[in-house]
Amino acid sequence: MNSEMQNDKYLTVLRSHLGTLTAAEREEIVREIAAHIRDSAGEPGASVESVLLRLGPAEDLAAQYRDGLLMRRASRSVSPLLLLRAALRLATKSVSGIFVFFCSVFGYAFGAGFVFIALAKSIVPAHAGAWVQDGRLVAMGAFEYGIPPSAHEILGVWIIPLGLIAGSLTLVLTTFLIRNSLKLSQRLQERL
Amino acid sequence: MAALASLWNGRLYGLEIIRFLETQSQLSLAEGTVYPVLNRLKSEGLLDSEWVEAEAGHPRKYYSLTEVGRSRLRHMAEAWASFSSGLSRLLEPVLQHSAEERATAGVSELKEEKIPQ
Repeated sequence: MNSEMQNDKYLTVLRSHLGTLTAAEREEIVREIAAHIRDSAGEPGASVESVLLRLGPAEDLAAQYRDGLLMRRASRSVSPLLLLRAALRLATKSVSGIFVFFCSVFGYAFGAGFVFIALAKSIVPAHAGAWVQDGRLVAMGAFEYGIPPSAHEILGVWIIPLGLIAGSLTLVLTTFLIRNSLKLSQRLQERL
Repeated sequence: MAALASLWNGRLYGLEIIRFLETQSQLSLAEGTVYPVLNRLKSEGLLDSEWVEAEAGHPRKYYSLTEVGRSRLRHMAEAWASFSSGLSRLLEPVLQHSAEERATAGVSELKEEKIPQ
């Protein structure tokens, strides 16, 4: 493959992996990298091949741009989907990222669970709630069957406001946790 | 921070920033990481960019610090300076100790050399 073909192929792959960015941003990035390759390969002792090698695979380069965009969007967003995706990216990069991701999954699951119980209690009161037996919580949620007959329900309808409060608090806290972790990880990167 | 610092004295384009960082410090960055970082700094409003037609025959994307970027860099530099001076104080005894060790090791080597004579 001659150097012009290598160059074109690199830029094509780069462009095709920048799908989440706007067309204008995409073209600007490709133009900038193309200028870099031309300038860099023009230096004494350099070749298109060595320049591309130093830049790293086009897929990886594109992924860094996409990550940057994802992190920026997510750290200003409240969408659990976007935040979870960003947390997952964080998890692929560091151990603390894995911790943050697991916390967020649990946070969202518990938050949604509490809200669900509150809603279920207000729709099918007999089948939803929290039951204890011998001082232990044996069932919490919404059930068709399976609640031990000897268990007795606690909280009653109070589980509705409590579930809503606990649920939304957990969801808000989880959102804050992820957003702050994302901001922190960007801060750390900023040392560069 | 390094990328911002390289622009303190005026606008540069990507390759110049990379070369600047290489020559002014031991920071040799993977070239592929510099451009996405510049892109991020720009979208955060710390950098501005403009395409300038160069004598090389193709335009280059020049970056410069915005006012926000300038003041952010100033804060970062101050924070970094106080952090690193604290750390240097902390490491001083360690460096002193290892220098002494090297000195005494040098002396004992000399002695050993003398013994066979």
